[in-house]
Amino acid sequence: MNAKVIVTAVALGMLAAGCATKKGFEVPGYAFGCPVGETKVGSMDDLVKAKVVTEGRRSTVQATEMRCARTGDLLKIDANLNNDSKSVKRVSYKFRWIDREGMRAWEEESWKPVMLYDNSNLMLNTVSPTTKAVDFRLILRSDE
Amino acid sequence: MNATRSLALAAALAAAALAGGCAEKTRYGDARGVETLTNQFGSTDLQMMAESMARSMNQAPIIASANLPVVTVQEVRNKTSEYIDTRAITDSIRSELQKGGKVRFAVDAAGMSQQTEELKRQQSELYAKEQAAEMGRMVGAQYRLEGNIVSIVKQVKETKDVYYKLNLQLWNIRNGLLEWSDEKEIRKTTTRG
Repeated sequence: MNAKVIVTAVALGMLAAGCATKKGFEVPGYAFGCPVGETKVGSMDDLVKAKVVTEGRRSTVQATEMRCARTGDLLKIDANLNNDSKSVKRVSYKFRWIDREGMRAWEEESWKPVMLYDNSNLMLNTVSPTTKAVDFRLILRSDE
Repeated sequence: MNATRSLALAAALAAAALAGGCAEKTRYGDARGVETLTNQFGSTDLQMMAESMARSMNQAPIIASANLPVVTVQEVRNKTSEYIDTRAITDSIRSELQKGGKVRFAVDAAGMSQQTEELKRQQSELYAKEQAAEMGRMVGAQYRLEGNIVSIVKQVKETKDVYYKLNLQLWNIRNGLLEWSDEKEIRKTTTRG
């Protein structure tokens, strides 16, 4: 009888712990490790919408996933670009760094051209250039 | 008379068209935009290499954990087949790291003669002794940054492919250990026609 109660309690405990640590939402103001502030982010799509900006010509290449982590006192970002078309696509990207006051934490980065094979993904990796950068935007533009 | 007038008008129009065609137009552009005029080493390559290397070096444990390590910049050897001002690459890396606030830079070999000349000048009787920079106060670097840039160029008929690789290394001057190293690769292909 006692053993049954203990097993049930442990199972319930594990279940509760599992629910409490919904991955990516464990820290208020962060989603998938990325700073979101007051913005409501309930899914990866919401996060991508909040962080990705298109400038200039629009591309069929889309950011589909984004994760952030702290490396020391810098912000490390992985962003996945997806090309679901049947042809090679070329886009340029840059990150824009924002400080605590919502101002630019760093000068405008250079555009970085990348090529995506047909039906493929490309992971962009970067790290913030300064500890003052607490937020960011990923800027994309088509090079076609 | 009419024929003469027509000829003069035609000549004037032709001259105007010629002048219009030769007129130069200068506009400012985006210094950080993607430049693809030729497949030689260009501003976009320099900016991408410098940014990538500086960000990588910022994450190196020796930079991230140490209290403002002192670095000196040594030569980046140009092993490509074209002229590249490698000093421009290391200058950009140095600027980005310096602005990031995690590294301090000691005067390098290229700037040493100006540094010692200024020190000597301040030691002359022209300067107030109490404010003049003293001899023997310069800080030696703990680490030295050096590297290579190589290229592989291949051309078949109308297609030219250029591959650049910049390799940088951060060496511990005291013990000779390699503390950080990274590479940045760039491929550019030009097709005529």
